[in-house]
Amino acid sequence: MTTLNINGRNMSVDAVSDTPLLWAIREQLQMTGTKFGCGAGLCGACTVHVNGEAVRSCQTMVGDVAGKKITTIEGLSAKGDHPLQKAWIAEQVPQCGYCQSGQIMQAASLLARNSNPTKDEVVAHMDGNLCRCMTYSRIQRAIMRAAADMRTASNAGTERRPT
Amino acid sequence: MNSHVKIGKDVKPADLSRRSFLVGTAATGLALGYSVVPSLLGADQALAAPANFDASVWYSVGPDGLVTVTCGKADMGQHIASTMAQIVSEELGSNWKDMRVQLASNDPKFNDPVLGAQITGGSWSTMMNFEAMSRAGAAGRIALTEAAAGIMGVPAGELVVRDSVISHPKSKKSMSFADIVKSGKITKTFTPDELKAIKLKTLDQYTMIGVSVPQLDIPPKTNGTAKYGIDVMLPGMVHGAIVTPPVRFGATVKLVDDSSAKKVPGFIKTVTLDDKTGSTTGWVVAVANTYAQAKKAAEALKISYDSGANAKLSSQSLLDEAKRLQGLSDAGQFFVKDGDPAAALGTASKVLEAEYTTSINIHAPMEPMNATAEFKGDILHIYSGNQFATRSGAIAAGAAGVDPKFVVMHQMWLGGGFGRRLDADMMVPAVQAAKAVGKPVKVIYSRENDMTMDYSRPLTYQRVKAGVDGDGKLIAISHDVVSAWPTARWGIPDFLTPSVDKKGPLDAFAVNGADFFYSVPNHYVRTIKNEMAHNATPSGQLRSVAPGWTFWAVESMIDEIAHATGQDPAQFRISLLDGKGKNDGGAQRLRNTLLAAMGLSGYGTRKLPKGEGIGVACVSSQERAAASWTACVAHVAVAPSGTVIVKKLTVATDVGTQVHPDNIRAQVEGAALWGLSLAMYEKATLKDGGIEQTNFDTYTPLRMRQVPEVAVTVIANGEKPTGVGEPAVTVVAPAIGNAIFNACGARVRALPITAEAVKGAMKA
Repeated sequence: MTTLNINGRNMSVDAVSDTPLLWAIREQLQMTGTKFGCGAGLCGACTVHVNGEAVRSCQTMVGDVAGKKITTIEGLSAKGDHPLQKAWIAEQVPQCGYCQSGQIMQAASLLARNSNPTKDEVVAHMDGNLCRCMTYSRIQRAIMRAAADMRTASNAGTERRPT
Repeated sequence: MNSHVKIGKDVKPADLSRRSFLVGTAATGLALGYSVVPSLLGADQALAAPANFDASVWYSVGPDGLVTVTCGKADMGQHIASTMAQIVSEELGSNWKDMRVQLASNDPKFNDPVLGAQITGGSWSTMMNFEAMSRAGAAGRIALTEAAAGIMGVPAGELVVRDSVISHPKSKKSMSFADIVKSGKITKTFTPDELKAIKLKTLDQYTMIGVSVPQLDIPPKTNGTAKYGIDVMLPGMVHGAIVTPPVRFGATVKLVDDSSAKKVPGFIKTVTLDDKTGSTTGWVVAVANTYAQAKKAAEALKISYDSGANAKLSSQSLLDEAKRLQGLSDAGQFFVKDGDPAAALGTASKVLEAEYTTSINIHAPMEPMNATAEFKGDILHIYSGNQFATRSGAIAAGAAGVDPKFVVMHQMWLGGGFGRRLDADMMVPAVQAAKAVGKPVKVIYSRENDMTMDYSRPLTYQRVKAGVDGDGKLIAISHDVVSAWPTARWGIPDFLTPSVDKKGPLDAFAVNGADFFYSVPNHYVRTIKNEMAHNATPSGQLRSVAPGWTFWAVESMIDEIAHATGQDPAQFRISLLDGKGKNDGGAQRLRNTLLAAMGLSGYGTRKLPKGEGIGVACVSSQERAAASWTACVAHVAVAPSGTVIVKKLTVATDVGTQVHPDNIRAQVEGAALWGLSLAMYEKATLKDGGIEQTNFDTYTPLRMRQVPEVAVTVIANGEKPTGVGEPAVTVVAPAIGNAIFNACGARVRALPITAEAVKGAMKA
């Protein structure tokens, strides 16, 4: 038994320490938003956050993340309303949708530390995430839209703050 | 290969023109659908058995006013479920926010009205379902309006339907759909003639068609709640990981040593497949409590194989065999036989001859193949995202040794299809493992299984000979296409086409597109089945199928002819698209897309820097009878090393009528980038009978950094809607090849295009 802290809750999983985090999340915890794509860290479909960093859960073993803060697509926002999720809907990004949990999680780790990325920074950060439907340009637009929304929200917050 | 798959007798066209349409109150609200038993039962009698009726429901209106449309099409990202709802909503008069979708089972009642089966492909869905879904929506509106008129005590003709509300402007009375459904029993039968007599809206009356409404499937695809086949969880379910042999097809298992696998915690059993459907050869499933355990057990298996007849074959042997076959004058069958090319070539002032090849390509959808099987009493339940429920159900039945009528297919969202999920190989290990362990089993392919066991786009070899007269007029084309036959593999006679030389049926899915809309008086197209490739690399339908290789040859050769005769390649195409004879209509539409793409790209308006070039192509994929019209202008830069950078793709497409403009743009852009990916980045090779590429490190679809600027323009001229999911795939490679020639004088004739090939052709 290993205890994992996922989306702010401690959960026990019955998995040996060399079990990929991906399968513990999907099968033991039945949180299926995180997807299996290649099993080799080459496609990004399984991306989750560990202590805020985007990692490939197919390459991350359960034993290595015990006690760390893990976030999956289900925990990115309370109501599916993270600025990226809203932007993904506004830009109508997904086609088949299978890679999009991983795309959103990968993008979220960028915007968490850089709310004003250039196009080149977006491409460099997202290049490891494959989209077989080739929705790449919409993914880029959605990230830019979310970044702008986050800046607006934080500026509005600043203005309201007493000086 | 598929003698154990009994599909023929179970496939009956759902000829809706001979069926009544029923509207009736059922347990869940108002149910609407085509009657199952034509002309035998009236609505009252059919509805007396609501359970029977429910199964045929095309859509329902709940007491909460929600309209749920059941989609018999596989939704693999083309948003077809949402599109079907949009078509119903237009005629029904419902508010878009009230629309919901659900995915149909494999019940034949949900068969495509034109195709008579449940199959999704060919960019056919919108084209073939628009009318039936429109009439279904209109019938619902009429039934609701009549009911409302009765309740309000006003003439039905004075009522207005809009946004799920029926109102009577004179009296200012109004009722919502929900109010009407709650108010009591509604029963109405439309006879086939009455249904046909309903006057559908005209283009100028549309309020939903042509509007980019928010796709219904998108929100659940942003928060992880959309359920794909791989996400299915059944009580008591265990997991299977497969071990596939080193050769793609033809191996048999000699011995399985699972002594090490037995030591893996959670291990249950090893199952060697006995697959009489011919979908798999030499596969073994390791079953365990969890997938991680099943994978470990699979890796611990020691299996010896008889590698079979294909074990020494390589891409080169398939190509050599193709060339040998092409050299035989009596090989193959004719797909087009107009005039007398041999005679015309004899009189031509200039003859060009060239060979064009394409490599093996892999579908590689992001969701690896998977299926879950559960035996419950006499019924076999299959959970999997699949594009061809009718045939796949029969294969699952064949693998189980039961009659197909005992198989229920539960459709899921598809994590990519691209033609791969027309096949059912993934159901065989799930079914046989479930049978062997007496529990529901979910089988998931590793990416390595998925790539090496793909029903790939076949390696193709084409030879084209063209003749031009003294005025530069194209007078003859003789075109040979040698490949594995993707659709012949299915063993379904209805999917084959008679050859024009009456040498038996041919697989048009190996040669479509070669029957282009250019006027060429002497035109032969011969298709030759490469049996060696057919057996060693069972091929499938990869997004756009044959036009993906036939237009590579045709559109490259047309360009070569234009250059050889000193004509502008775009103007030369326009002159060939004269719309004479059998090309009337299509040729003009194709010409218009070419003109649109030329205009949007600024064709001929500026001088390009050295090393840059513009190339054009135009295509009429898919089948000639269901063609759509697409042109591309590609702008490339070629370095002295031969490295090609695609700077911009401009694509114009004529879709007839736009149901959802934003979706059309998304599909066309995705398809164009697929075309780019196949043209430049994707190559699979066969060695020792096996596919060499196993994951995304060696099989490398387009990534974000490789995406060029893509400009799309859509022509909506009011003709019937065409498909948009595939045509742009086929137009890009020749446009790029032609642009490379204009940039540096290198003519490339093999896909994918490599820097080495470009550099080599520069020197020549």
